[in-house]
Amino acid sequence: MSGLATSLRSSSIINLSSAVTMVVDDSPFALDLTSQALLGFGIRTRYACRSAADAISILKESPIDLLLVDCEMPGTDGFELVRWLRRSGLDPNAFTPIIMTAAHLRRSRASEARDCGASFVIIKPFSAVTLLERIVWVSRDQRPFLEVGDYFGPDRRFGDATPPGAERRAQMIRKAAAEAEGVDTAAIPEDEFHSSATS
Amino acid sequence: MTVITHKRRKSRLTDMIDKPGGISVGVALVQAQANIEERRGPSLEAVAEMVKSLLAIERPTSLEDNFERLIEVYRGSNGIIDVASPFGLDELCEAASNLCNLVDASPAGELFDWRIVTVHARAMQMLMRLPEGADEARRTVLDSLQQVQGRRIPAQKA
Repeated sequence: MSGLATSLRSSSIINLSSAVTMVVDDSPFALDLTSQALLGFGIRTRYACRSAADAISILKESPIDLLLVDCEMPGTDGFELVRWLRRSGLDPNAFTPIIMTAAHLRRSRASEARDCGASFVIIKPFSAVTLLERIVWVSRDQRPFLEVGDYFGPDRRFGDATPPGAERRAQMIRKAAAEAEGVDTAAIPEDEFHSSATS
Repeated sequence: MTVITHKRRKSRLTDMIDKPGGISVGVALVQAQANIEERRGPSLEAVAEMVKSLLAIERPTSLEDNFERLIEVYRGSNGIIDVASPFGLDELCEAASNLCNLVDASPAGELFDWRIVTVHARAMQMLMRLPEGADEARRTVLDSLQQVQGRRIPAQKA
């Protein structure tokens, strides 16, 4: 890891230590693993909720800076929770960056994943690299919020409206991961670390 | 259709991410992976229990039962992916995902062929038992599960 600090010096620093973060997942193991990954990023999970109902009661009372929600949960699922929040009129929580995670996405739920109002949906397998990339991405997301019919959430047209610096950060994250695996990145062109955003 | 555009207010995350202090991306990733690795033992035990639970789900005898049991199977398989994927158990996740695909594609008015659940759960147990380096054996197990999926889900849906 000795070369890592050098390659990421200056612009590769993130500071999300004061982010008020909520993780919602019915699986205690998944909840813990996500919280541990966040802790590694310097983000302490303020609220760890096992159900949408628990999350809703907190969201009504406390401002949240970042929300991570599992899609598949018994009772009110992640999609319903996100749709409710976006339509809740709660300020500022209705506009909170939301990253959804799914172990598997049912075909019948694909449109809900697109239309519920989440900032991003990550389909597992889980990786710390992907999670950090998405967190940095939503931190820089400048898309306006739209109300279109039933939809309320960030503009779903990504187009060229990538947040300033997002690609640069994504490259650095991939490069750091490669170096962490012992790959000599000095010989690899920067373009090799490009990744396309998916939602 | 009417479109109302709300100008995005800068989130607090946007303000804080570049504030002085913090950690490098590289350190963040190493720390995250180290924190996750600390959970490996209990997590893998939990995965083994989840697979056992899949095997313990009783074969449904009515369409009503079928619906409920398939939800159990789907959630169980999801849980396996949730816990196994941070540890790079990709083959296990692939097997669980295969089962999710089959449950998701099953016709509502028919009893699910429960042998599929049993075969997948047994395959997952085998994948967990195979020693490191047994790549060919792992691939053979996964190929056989893929064949089950190929037979059950028409090509245009798969």
